[in-house]
Amino acid sequence: MATQAQPITTDLNPTPPSPSGILVFLRRIYRNYTVRVVVQSLVTIWAVITFTFFLIRLMPGNPVDVYIDFLMNQQQLTYEQARLQAAGQFEFDPDASPVSQYIDYMGQLLHGDLGQSIVSSGTKVIDQIARFLPWTLFAVGLGLLISFVLGISLGTLMAYNRNSVLDHGLSLFSSILSAVPNYIWGLLILIVFGVELKWFSVGEMRGTYGSDVTQGFNIEFMLSVLKHAFLPVLIYVMGTIGSWMLNMRNSTVSTLGEDYINVAKARGLTSRRILISYVGRNASLPMFTLLAINIGFILGGSVIIEELFVYKGIGSFLFSSITQRDYTAMQGVFLIITVSVVVSNLLADLLYSRLDPRVRVGGDK
Amino acid sequence: MTAIAQQPNANPNSDKVIYAQPSFLERLTAPFVVFLRGLSRNRAGMIGFIGLVIYAVWIFIAPLFVPFDHEVRLDQIAAPAGSRDQLLVRAADASTYTTLASLAGKTVAVVAETGNEETIQPYADTFTLDETRWRSGRGVEQAIQKLQSGEVDAMVIFSEQVKKFITNNPDYTDLVVSNPELGPAHLLGTDTQGRDLFTHIINGGTTLILTAVIAGLFSTVIAVVLGSTAALIGGVVDNVLTAIANFVLTIPAFPLLVVLAALIHLDNFVFLAALIASLSWPVLMRAIRSQVLSLRERDYVEAAVALDLGLRHIILREILPNMMSFVAINFIFAVTSAMYQQVGLIFLGMAPINDYTWGVMLYFGRTRGTLFSADSANMVLAPVVAIALFQVSMVLFARALEEMFDPRLRTSN
Repeated sequence: MATQAQPITTDLNPTPPSPSGILVFLRRIYRNYTVRVVVQSLVTIWAVITFTFFLIRLMPGNPVDVYIDFLMNQQQLTYEQARLQAAGQFEFDPDASPVSQYIDYMGQLLHGDLGQSIVSSGTKVIDQIARFLPWTLFAVGLGLLISFVLGISLGTLMAYNRNSVLDHGLSLFSSILSAVPNYIWGLLILIVFGVELKWFSVGEMRGTYGSDVTQGFNIEFMLSVLKHAFLPVLIYVMGTIGSWMLNMRNSTVSTLGEDYINVAKARGLTSRRILISYVGRNASLPMFTLLAINIGFILGGSVIIEELFVYKGIGSFLFSSITQRDYTAMQGVFLIITVSVVVSNLLADLLYSRLDPRVRVGGDK
Repeated sequence: MTAIAQQPNANPNSDKVIYAQPSFLERLTAPFVVFLRGLSRNRAGMIGFIGLVIYAVWIFIAPLFVPFDHEVRLDQIAAPAGSRDQLLVRAADASTYTTLASLAGKTVAVVAETGNEETIQPYADTFTLDETRWRSGRGVEQAIQKLQSGEVDAMVIFSEQVKKFITNNPDYTDLVVSNPELGPAHLLGTDTQGRDLFTHIINGGTTLILTAVIAGLFSTVIAVVLGSTAALIGGVVDNVLTAIANFVLTIPAFPLLVVLAALIHLDNFVFLAALIASLSWPVLMRAIRSQVLSLRERDYVEAAVALDLGLRHIILREILPNMMSFVAINFIFAVTSAMYQQVGLIFLGMAPINDYTWGVMLYFGRTRGTLFSADSANMVLAPVVAIALFQVSMVLFARALEEMFDPRLRTSN
């Protein structure tokens, strides 16, 4: 196989000679951009679920076996009793074969059932997630929004002043911002501004909102929420703004060289109109592919950032469930994080295809 | 072409042109000269390169001269930068006893299990030693009282303990520090066990950076092999490999790493590097794939295909050399991203901490609460700066290389 040179010259998408009717039908559906990205997302989610299921249940030294061992030692149970108890907690039928366990598990997932927490018994994992997820989505979403708007504006500014001191300075600035890991920025901010300069109290910034406010739709609560989200959001902005700036700069520079910009200038349009309707709209299109990457990056990094700032979101919950060996919670949270990333990628893709019809029409490559 | 200078002719009558043969040394250094000349056009890149050279010396050579400090010292816990042992005497003797040598034949108080013993080591035989036990710090006060009562003539004491017991204490106004610089200073202070932080910073980068480099290497090799295979063979292989890459790309890498680290027992750093690499190859793989797709249309590749030189030859001899700069630049970015994942894992306590690295310093800084006290903030601040500067050097250098190899990116000229 390795020395086969012949396929190199073949076409990238060889069309089969005579596809049957059902194949043509399927292919037509697959050609539809929206359907295709939705199907791809569903397949990805399914693959992750399957992967974690087998990782957790069947790997040697897997959490279920570890938990059974733990129960036998801790509560002096026989193997059978411990196994039954573990089965109850993980919600699987201990006598069934792995395959039927897998099918049961998928069925439970479809009903939104992620099993029971091992550590806080009697609590459904899905309820715990529902408690923590909104905070993460709020902080991550706000951070993304701010860094997107700021990064795009600064990137355009750099492109309009290219090769000036401003351009070089901001380029260096964004390189450095994105080079240093975001949690390192977090540590620096905590130590320099919180501990050394005492601009804020590190202890007071912990949690998702202050203990002195009542949860509800009142102004104190919302201010408290914003105050507690400030540091994580700042770090999310710092971690991603560099990539927006550099990419937007390069994209704008190449857009400025396009003919239609010259035509617009020749037609005597105001520079403001050209900036917004001609340059901005076209140059920001590639940013939506970057959106998908940054969403995954921020959500993934939230495990460290939330742990660092003691922000009670899904990331810090994942970490605490791992350190407490709460494997059902861990499995559930990991699935939720993955699903969040896949769904946000899907939304970014769909948004992009709305904004840039070439993606939809351009076909499959 | 002007590099081969036309030498002034040795024999003016001969019309033969003699070209200067480059000397052995010149031939050896020529590539570096060309490289440095290219780099010198980019100031930020030059800074990054110098930074990397400093880091290379730092992690490979400096540990030979500055050994790791394992000594646990009870009196020096989380001391700030510049702390050291001092000599405490009665005010009357302030000008007499200023060095350990001047104390020959006298009695000197020290506290056991502290850094005091190291400081007096060279002079330990010349005077009588009066040792008190540490006893959660009460021993220090006991020794101070002995000095006050005249039982001993001088006392070796750590600067933090001076601040704690002597400074602004009306009970001990008759005692003064006669030599504030008796022992060697802790340049960066000490950690929560009284060990010198400077030696930890010097020794703590080697494993960390090596692991990141190995992970970057693994991920680059996987990306190059899979990317060029997918692009050259095409068809089903291409579709399958691209689908796998897209799948791995979609899973949030860091949470998966944390979950895997919880399930798999990570006990050596090559394994950790492989685990990081196994999740980080897809981005580069897709970039390599599209590079190879465009390269394979070139005439010389088609010639190689026509000659049936084999996939290995085509990849290694025809395609890889032409995207070497691209691969090298992305290797650097792969190292920085491996560093992110690795330090993140260690920071959370999910990766092996057998080696005392910068990451482990961060981990202990977080778990032992030193993060929140200004005196001991160095334990976290020092590795933070070390890691940050390494990442910045890498990225500045990589961006400079990008500009060198791709003139379209050049901002100036």
